[in-house]
Amino acid sequence: MSEELILRTENICKSFNGIQVLKNVNLEIRKGEIHALMGENGAGKSTIIKIITGVYTKDDGEIYIDGQHVVIDNRHDAAEAGISVIYQELSLVPELTVTENIFLGHEIMKRGLPDKKEMRRQVQALIDRYGFLLRPDEVVATMGMAQRQMCEILKALSTEAKLLIMDEPTTSLSASETEQLFVTMEGLREKGTSILYISHRLEEIYRVTDRLTIMRNGEVVGVVDSRTVQADTVTAMMIGHELEKTGVRVPNVNHDHCIEVKDLSLGNLLHNVSFKAYGGEILGIGGLVGSGRTELVSCIYGAVKNYKGSITLDGKPVSRSVAKNIRAGFGMVPEDRRTEGFFPQLSILRNIVISSYDRLSSLGFVRAGAESGHAEKAIADYDVRPAMKKLPLQNLSGGNQQKVILARWLSRDVDVLILDEPTVGVDVGVKAELYVYMRRLADKGAIIIMVSSDLAELTEVSDRVLVLHGGTFFQEFRDHKATQQAVLLASSGVAAKEGEVL
Amino acid sequence: MKISQKITRKLITLALIVILSAIFAATTSSFLKLINIQEILRVAAYTGIICVGVSFVLISGGIDLSSGGIICFTGIICCRLAVLGLPWPLVVLAAVVVGAACGFLNGWLITRFYLNDFITTLATGFVFSGFGLLAIAKEPSGTVMSQTIRNRGFLMLGKHVGGFYYIVIAWVVLTLIAWFVQTRTRYGLHTCATGSNAKSSEMSGVNVRRMKVMNFTICGACCAIGAAFTVAYQQTAYLSLGSGMGFDAVAACVVGGVMLGGGKGDAIGAFLGAVFMTIVTNGMRKYGLDTSWQYVFEGAVILIAIMSDAGFAVVSARRLKAISEKNANEEALMEAQKGGGAQ
Repeated sequence: MSEELILRTENICKSFNGIQVLKNVNLEIRKGEIHALMGENGAGKSTIIKIITGVYTKDDGEIYIDGQHVVIDNRHDAAEAGISVIYQELSLVPELTVTENIFLGHEIMKRGLPDKKEMRRQVQALIDRYGFLLRPDEVVATMGMAQRQMCEILKALSTEAKLLIMDEPTTSLSASETEQLFVTMEGLREKGTSILYISHRLEEIYRVTDRLTIMRNGEVVGVVDSRTVQADTVTAMMIGHELEKTGVRVPNVNHDHCIEVKDLSLGNLLHNVSFKAYGGEILGIGGLVGSGRTELVSCIYGAVKNYKGSITLDGKPVSRSVAKNIRAGFGMVPEDRRTEGFFPQLSILRNIVISSYDRLSSLGFVRAGAESGHAEKAIADYDVRPAMKKLPLQNLSGGNQQKVILARWLSRDVDVLILDEPTVGVDVGVKAELYVYMRRLADKGAIIIMVSSDLAELTEVSDRVLVLHGGTFFQEFRDHKATQQAVLLASSGVAAKEGEVL
Repeated sequence: MKISQKITRKLITLALIVILSAIFAATTSSFLKLINIQEILRVAAYTGIICVGVSFVLISGGIDLSSGGIICFTGIICCRLAVLGLPWPLVVLAAVVVGAACGFLNGWLITRFYLNDFITTLATGFVFSGFGLLAIAKEPSGTVMSQTIRNRGFLMLGKHVGGFYYIVIAWVVLTLIAWFVQTRTRYGLHTCATGSNAKSSEMSGVNVRRMKVMNFTICGACCAIGAAFTVAYQQTAYLSLGSGMGFDAVAACVVGGVMLGGGKGDAIGAFLGAVFMTIVTNGMRKYGLDTSWQYVFEGAVILIAIMSDAGFAVVSARRLKAISEKNANEEALMEAQKGGGAQ
């Protein structure tokens, strides 16, 4: 072996409920390198990390640290072996100082009291050794995000971590803070600490990492030198071969019926976003998680109200009240159906009719017959299984829950349907059904806006794709010209040659 | 025959009421006497009317502990106005308006400033009791003066007709109205949806803040109605009026299957809960047990109620999981067949 390996995994396998999510994963991280891990959502990145850090237990395979075979059954074992994770949601107590945070839970005691002097001395020594811009007595709440992250890293280093795992650490950082973090990482590399770095952003991978492991469908599909590799090669490896296009729909676009968004801005997330969505068309919106996609569609629906700019439907302003918009024919399938979409204890029936009492009640009294007729028809039309209208929704499979939420809107013939990640946690068969319902609605002339991270879905189902990057539209793909690779590149801020730049 | 869980839960409470009554009737001489049954119903009606209001708040996912304070404040207002000789409909109307205003204030504070309803209503409960002290009749020296109501029209509310106190009739009527509103109107279903998942409700077009404010307002109004009847029965109002009722009403609702946290239960459940709790207290007294033991038993009853609800949830979750697994298997089978057909 030419290079010393800090971590080596050998044929790690893992299944959940009979579905294999990791197949013989071999990961090798050298001493003193920054190693990137990339892959689409669901490729198995977080699963392998969770196995290494003892959150999940592996079904098969071995883990070696420093050439030694180790057994990692829980988080404690992982820490013992020298593996530390820097969590996205930092685990610091804001009210305490840097020193107090670092020694939280394993304080150095002297005559039954914490030995503040000694702890402070040790923290200062660590700071000096790694050259961090931190003061031991600073209260975490008063520090910026980048400094907090440094404090978190310091905490990991204080337990003699040999391998730091950073999962998308830059999502909450500004550009200059990100740069600060990269400098810190490079400093650590010089001292011999290895870092496993997970990110969706290609430019970061180029900037700071040495090697890159790419995963797809639970397997490692390649290990490359991240300084010289081409972006196209990376995305091609992440996606695999292009899927065959299944029957391109020719949309009957009605340019007179449209939602127009003009100069929409929202805090730091969205800057002067403008676009039109037409009747009869399925408009796909792509971009990375956190690029403002969800917020954008929430503004249109009226769920987020404090935006600047204008949104109009056929020239008339769209209300900032969800209730009014629903009466005007809007509907939304939110990203997280558990927290925003459904009522777990309530029946399938209630979950379907909840937004339709304007039609199913007179003077506030519910017409029971109309209510159950409406629900029964929707259950039959959209093939909800089991077709038991009294069953609480929490007992349905994910796909059927999603059908119920879609049925809530489709059963009232919505005119504007917004879908945010409509098929997350939905199995393949149901997915295809959902697409059929969406297309049918578009054929009736409705405006459909679909946000999705699933590239296959985005490129296959949408008639037109807009990609958000850095709070504004980066690229538009018309007439089914979007390819998974081009969308992926655009999402990470690299313009593809084919599409037309806005 | 398949009986829904909602009905099963009520049948269990009802069965417990019958069993407990039978035990008390067999072991004490005075339990089954007409006068005692009338007394049980009258006391249960007082708690029960408050429970009607509290059930609205609980179903919408909130909690209201200020009912005691509202009862005290509105009860004292009733007494003052009745002593002045106002006709009883005006006295009751005034109390209901004040009670509703108190409830509205609760709802407004909670939704406007995003406060926790437990602490907020605990605090406003003190405030309303304080208002009661301000409103109560005092001697020129400042000491509280006890007033006896001689307003015949108003005192009528404390009487009974055909063996049933008016408060009992009001209780039954209010419960039926509340049950209808909760299960058969848009308002009630939106209330239930808010309690089940507030965020989803908002995304489905329910005005969650308005629902919360309205339910607290209804609760305040119910407290005033309960207070008016009780003051009429006792022919006077005093400062300790309604004390402890905030917790008692919530407890009775929970015993009747109205879930803390919202989304489950209705006024009929609250009705049964109020009957049950009153019978427990009454029976304990018949045994000659002192107040300390009454507290112990009441507390135990509440604990058993919530524990059995948790057990209920586990059992039904298991049963339903079996259904959904069966369903998933069928889906997988269909999928396999589809795949087979394509090849």
